[in-house]
Amino acid sequence: MTNSINDLLARHTLIFTIVVVIFSLFITFFSEPYGNGLISTSFVKTLGKTVCLCIIALAMDVVWGYCGILSLGHFAFFGLGGYMIGMWLMYERTAIIVQEAATNELLPLTETELSNAIGNQIFGVVGGYDIPSIWMFADSLSLQLILVIAVPGILAFIFGWLAFRSRVTGVYLSILTQALTLALSLYLFQNDSGLRGNNGLSGLQNIPGIEYLGQEVISIGFFWASCIFLISIFLLFHSLMKSKFGLVITSIRDNETRVRFLGYNVEIFKLFIFVLTAIVSSIAGALYYPQAGIINPAELAPIASIYLAVWVAIGGRGKLYGAIIGAAFVSLFSSWFTGGQAPDIPLGIFTIEWVNWWTVLLGFGFVIITIFSENGIIGFLRNIFVKEK
Amino acid sequence: MNTLLKVEEISVSFDGFKAINSLSYSIGKNELKAIIGPNGAGKTTFMDIITGQTKPDEGKVLFGERSVWLESDQKYQVVWDENLLMKSESQIALLGIGRKFQRPTVFELKTVFENLFISMKKNRNPFSVLFQKLNRDEINLIQKILGEISLKNEQDRIAGELSHGQKQWLEIGMLLTQEPKLLLIDEPAAGMTSNERRQTVEILKKLSVDKSVIVVEHDMEFIKDLNCEVTVLHEGSILSEGSIEHVSSNNEVIEVYLGR
Repeated sequence: MTNSINDLLARHTLIFTIVVVIFSLFITFFSEPYGNGLISTSFVKTLGKTVCLCIIALAMDVVWGYCGILSLGHFAFFGLGGYMIGMWLMYERTAIIVQEAATNELLPLTETELSNAIGNQIFGVVGGYDIPSIWMFADSLSLQLILVIAVPGILAFIFGWLAFRSRVTGVYLSILTQALTLALSLYLFQNDSGLRGNNGLSGLQNIPGIEYLGQEVISIGFFWASCIFLISIFLLFHSLMKSKFGLVITSIRDNETRVRFLGYNVEIFKLFIFVLTAIVSSIAGALYYPQAGIINPAELAPIASIYLAVWVAIGGRGKLYGAIIGAAFVSLFSSWFTGGQAPDIPLGIFTIEWVNWWTVLLGFGFVIITIFSENGIIGFLRNIFVKEK
Repeated sequence: MNTLLKVEEISVSFDGFKAINSLSYSIGKNELKAIIGPNGAGKTTFMDIITGQTKPDEGKVLFGERSVWLESDQKYQVVWDENLLMKSESQIALLGIGRKFQRPTVFELKTVFENLFISMKKNRNPFSVLFQKLNRDEINLIQKILGEISLKNEQDRIAGELSHGQKQWLEIGMLLTQEPKLLLIDEPAAGMTSNERRQTVEILKKLSVDKSVIVVEHDMEFIKDLNCEVTVLHEGSILSEGSIEHVSSNNEVIEVYLGR
C-alpha cells in the first residue's frame, strides 16, 4: 500500500515539475532577449505575475481547501510582502538618483541633506520629507527580505492566536479576516501611514544595481524566480499534505471536535497552517510587485481576497493543481477581458463591453461551476476521466 | 484498588435547567461500569464534563489517584495527579481518557487504516507530527487491532462506506490505538444487529482487562450481557447503584423506566 502511494506521489510532483520547466523554457525561447521575440516583454511580465497568483492560490487552497479556514485576508499578506520589498526598491533607487544628481555639486552632500533629498523625492507627494521610522531598514535588501517573512508572519500569528484560541470558526472567522484586511487597507490609504497613502509605491520594476540589464532581461529573471518558487511551494505543500501532518489537517477540516478528543491541540495546528500560508503569500507578493511595478492600498482591499477564494473554488479546492488551474485561467481571462483586447459584442441598441461585463461573466461562471461541480473544474474533469473503482 | 477517576458533587445547569445535580461518581483501575437512564437524564452531559467539553458550575473532577508516603506524619496520603477542570479537551485526551461518541464519529473521508493511524498514541506536538512515519511495530499494532475489531479486510476502504456497526467498531479501534487508561463509551450498541451486539459485548469485556471502561446505554438487555455494576441516572442525579438485578428490582427505577 505504502509503495503505490509513494509511486503516485513521486509521479504527481515529477509531472508537475516537468510541465512548469518546459513551460518556462518555452517562454524563454520565444522571449525578446533570448529568442525570436514572439512573446513580448509585457506578456512575460503578465505570465510571471500569473505564476505568483498561482502561488498564493496554492496557499489559499491549503488554508481553505485542506484546513477548512475560509480566510478572506490572504491577499493582505500578499500586499504586505509587496510593500516590504517595495520599500527597499524605492528607497535604494531614489538614493542612487539623488546621489547621481549631486555629483555636479561642489560639496558632497551631508548625511542630513541626502536623507532630506531622498525623503523629499519619496514623500513629497504626501507633503513631507521626513523619512518615517518604519523605513529604517529600507536601505538594506537583506533586512527588508527578512521583513517580507517577519511582518506577515507575526501579524498572522497574533491574529490567528487570538481567533483560534477563542474558537472562532466558520463564517465568523471569515468575517474577522475580512475586517483585518479592510482595516489594513484603510490604514494604508492614510497619507500619514508612512507608506505614501493612496499613491502607494511605484517604479518598482527598476531594480537598483541591475538597471543596465533592461526590463526584457529582468522580466525573464523574475519569471524564472516565480516558476522556481511555484515548484518549491508545490513540492512543499504536496509532501506536507501527504504526510501524517496533512492527515491531521484535513481531519480538522472534516471534524474538528473529534481531532481534539484524540488529543491533538487543534489551535496550534491551525495556527501553524495560517502562519505558513501567510508567509508563502507574502513571498509571492514580493515576487509579484516588482513585475507589476506599482503597489497601492487598493490592491489589499477585501475584494482581492474574495477573488482569491473564487479562483480556488473555480479550479477545485482540496487539490493543489485545482488551485493553480483556477488562478491561472481566471486571472489570465480577467486581464484579457479587462485589458480591452476582448471583442465587444454589439446588440443593436446595446453593446456588451467586456471591460464592464467581465465581472458579470465571472459571476455566472462561478455560479454555474459550483452548481454543477462542487469541486470546481478539477472535480468536473475527475468525474469524467477518473472512474470510481 | 486505586481509583482512576473521581467526580465529586458536580452540578451544571443550562438556562436554569439542572442537567446534572450534585452528582458523585468514581471508577477504579481496570473496572467496567455501566450507566443507564432515560433520555435527558444527563448521561451525555456527564461525559462532556469528564472530557472537558462542558465546565461544571461546581464540583471536582479528579484523575489518577496515588498514595504517597508522608515522612512527617508517618502515614500514606492520597493525592490526585490531575484536576481535569483545569484542562482543555486535548490535554484531557492526552492524559488517557478516550471517548466514543453516541453517533459513530470517524473521519468519513479517510481510509480505515488512516483513521487508526491518526489516533495512534504518539507525540501530538505539530513539529513532531511533521516528521512522523509509520514503523514496522506500529503497522503490526494496527493490523492486530484491525483483527480485534473485525475490519482486517476493510483497511483500505473509505470509512464513510462502512456499515453503521462497522463504524462503531472502527471508533472503538481508534480508542484502542490511542491506548487510553479510561474509556467513555456512549451507546455502543445503538443500531446494531444482535450478532454485532454480541461481538461488541466481547470487545468491551476484553477491553476492561487492562483499562477502565464506562459504558452508557439505553438498552437493559445489553447491560445484562455486560454483567457489571450499573448506575441509574435520573434528572441529573443517581437514582440507584448496584448489580443489574438489584437496580431493576428497585421500584423507583421501574417507575422512571416504565412510567414514561
